[in-house]
Amino acid sequence: MLEKILPNDIYDILKNKVNIKSINEIRMREEKPIVLAIGSQRIFLGERGVTGNLNEALLSSKTMIEDIIFRASECSIYSVNEQLKRGYLVTKGGIRLGIGGDIVEESGKVKTMTNFSSINIRLPHEVKNCSLSAFNFLLSENGILNTLVISPPGAGKTTFLRDFVCQLSERNYAYNVLILDERGELDLGESGSIGNFADKISFARKTIGFENGIRALSPNLIVTDELGQKEDIDAVVYAVNSGVSILASVHSDSMESFAKKPYFEEIIKNKVFKRFVLLSMRNGPGTLEGIYNENFARLHI
Amino acid sequence: MKILLLSLMACVTIYIGYVFSKKYKIRANFFQALVMLCQKFDVEINYSRERLKNIFNNLDEKQKHNLHGIDNNFISFINKENPLEKEFLFKNIKFLKEEEKDVIFMFFKSLGRSDVDSQSKEIKNFQTRFETLSSSAIAENKKYGSLSIKLGIVAGLVIIVLFI
Repeated sequence: MLEKILPNDIYDILKNKVNIKSINEIRMREEKPIVLAIGSQRIFLGERGVTGNLNEALLSSKTMIEDIIFRASECSIYSVNEQLKRGYLVTKGGIRLGIGGDIVEESGKVKTMTNFSSINIRLPHEVKNCSLSAFNFLLSENGILNTLVISPPGAGKTTFLRDFVCQLSERNYAYNVLILDERGELDLGESGSIGNFADKISFARKTIGFENGIRALSPNLIVTDELGQKEDIDAVVYAVNSGVSILASVHSDSMESFAKKPYFEEIIKNKVFKRFVLLSMRNGPGTLEGIYNENFARLHI
Repeated sequence: MKILLLSLMACVTIYIGYVFSKKYKIRANFFQALVMLCQKFDVEINYSRERLKNIFNNLDEKQKHNLHGIDNNFISFINKENPLEKEFLFKNIKFLKEEEKDVIFMFFKSLGRSDVDSQSKEIKNFQTRFETLSSSAIAENKKYGSLSIKLGIVAGLVIIVLFI
């Protein structure tokens, strides 16, 4: 998919002079150097591959950024406007473009985004078995324990969720899994697997997705990315009260800072989540820092 | 032999008349197809948010025929096989005037570049321009299309009369 959205010259350099599989992010800002995130390293892209020399770095232009967004929308910006309004765009293969530009508001509501000035292209990776070391801690005799995966951005939360769903299927745990893919990142389509027992609702807000999904698809487990708003927490409580297990993720860099996040006090106090998986970038994305129980006591590592 | 040659010359003049008349018909059909394309875009973009490539792929055969390959050329741009350039978009199209090509090129350049409201307004604007071009192409076809064949026949007869 990357070759379909990037300008040919940039893609050729990445293909021939950089290991594309090692890239986590490509950042482009108007008239600024193109920056690659490889592991925890940030490095410029030059004509001869990666470079630490700013003078050799290739610059992004406004036209280049606009063209990438146009291409990523399959040459149909109007068809992805709901995503653009929220500042991102996800391509078919799960590549996520975070977009900077001007928000156009009308009657107090976001109408669209224009005048694009920067993009952060996040390349998804299927890291097979990355959830295995935590797998057994998240299961009980009664099924899957409500689990929250905690990590800073780009540290492998989504990859962990995706692999866990895949592992369930590979181990013949025939749970009906509902993937509530609000941003279209969880399912990589042809290039990744979510197993044989997963249904998917994409691009719906969590409140709508949880309610419709529970009614229509009777899942045993709902998997969703990035809880953050109060309505997300309400949706989780609704699902748990309906007898559905939850595997979700949240942005935070430690258990301490997570405990202070707004809206989460109540569900922490009520011990809604029985397991917390903490990931970091310490040894590259997906480093398992610890598995905790509902009392924040460390169970592993 | 003389009769055979005269008949042949008469056939040639009639054929030239037919070619001219066909050109007017092709133009009328082409602009009509563009108007219909705008109508289809407006519906698909407003209601199903269908992507451009699918809209083009789902055109019926008659409409595709009347667009003379301009749709396939645009699809090849979507597929990143060719840049969107005027020469490429109108390759093999010889029946359009330069100013008409400019308007149509602007239309294709604007496709897929904005949100639903703006795109819909742009398409309606271009549809109006294409309707005007279509009306004049239909009028031209009525006026000069049949006239060209008639002139071809008359010229053929004149040649026969003059040389017999």
